[in-house]
Amino acid sequence: MEDPPRAPAHNPFFRFVHAVQNTIDRPVTWFRESVVTPNRPDHVYYHQKFRRVPTIDQCYTDDPVCRFEAQQQFNRDKLVDGEIVQLVRQRLKECIAYEIPDQDRKCAKLKEEFDKVSESFCMKYADLGPYNNVKDAYMKQKHRMLWERRHGKVGTGMKIEE
Amino acid sequence: MAAFSTLLKSFVRNANLVKNGAAVSNNLLRPNTSNALEAVRKMSGHEMMHIKPSRWSWNRFKDLLNFYVMLGVIPATVVITYINLFIGPAKLAEIPEGYVPEVHEYYAHPITRWMTKHIKKSYQQEYEVMCQHIYETDYARKLRIAEKRVHQKMQEKQDSQAYYYEPVTGRNERHIKSMLEKSVDYVGTR
Repeated sequence: MEDPPRAPAHNPFFRFVHAVQNTIDRPVTWFRESVVTPNRPDHVYYHQKFRRVPTIDQCYTDDPVCRFEAQQQFNRDKLVDGEIVQLVRQRLKECIAYEIPDQDRKCAKLKEEFDKVSESFCMKYADLGPYNNVKDAYMKQKHRMLWERRHGKVGTGMKIEE
Repeated sequence: MAAFSTLLKSFVRNANLVKNGAAVSNNLLRPNTSNALEAVRKMSGHEMMHIKPSRWSWNRFKDLLNFYVMLGVIPATVVITYINLFIGPAKLAEIPEGYVPEVHEYYAHPITRWMTKHIKKSYQQEYEVMCQHIYETDYARKLRIAEKRVHQKMQEKQDSQAYYYEPVTGRNERHIKSMLEKSVDYVGTR
């Protein structure tokens, strides 16, 4: 929120640049600190925490209210997980931008982390089509587990039965 | 400096612009100033009336537009500036132990907080209303399915004195029989 304090300038050129910046900065800062901030009330805001409700695999088949709540929880979890993936991806991007052309060597750990996180996100939420459905995601997990039971881990190839 | 604006005005007044009554680019539609009768005598020599189409409605439109836009813009600017300067957005904080915040305490900007408090329905309210609606419609649906199955059984077995049972009375038959007896007297035959 607040800008970090500027290092003092010994160089006359930087002193001049700082002086030019201060012609606009000083009056504005004075106005804000003396007129605006003391008159503001101290109020805060919070981030909402939601209670966990039973997920779709714990609901009866004829209980639509339980299914609705599981769907809402699924949507919220999808948003949260999406933000997590974004944060990890942003870290990787910043590392690459900073370390180019050494990024393969220096950002390897971050890249591995990002690959893992995005793989888990896609395992849960991806390839479901445009209208997401918590039941479809559940069925996707079931099919994946069946496939893994028959053919081994995903990524190791399909076993062709003779 | 003022002289330049008068020069410009006189240029504009005498030039072939649309607002001075000239047609757009057609020589045939230029006003025939040599033969036209002007409604005013050129007596004074300086200020002469310029014959051109009326700009009254255009001027009135501009006036009204300005008035109504400013009627919204100026109060909105003042109010929003005051709120942003002297009330200001809230700071993020951890939820204290055992405290359940109000819905409007989940938002930062004071205008959003006000709208959430007084105008908008909260997420929790709409969620719970939706849950209740789903429960009621599902209840009604289950009742309808049960009713349908009861009707099917009644139709199959035909053993209960309800939907598919028609009670038979002899009353109508007796009445028709008596009318047949009487009709021999009226008509001569059955």
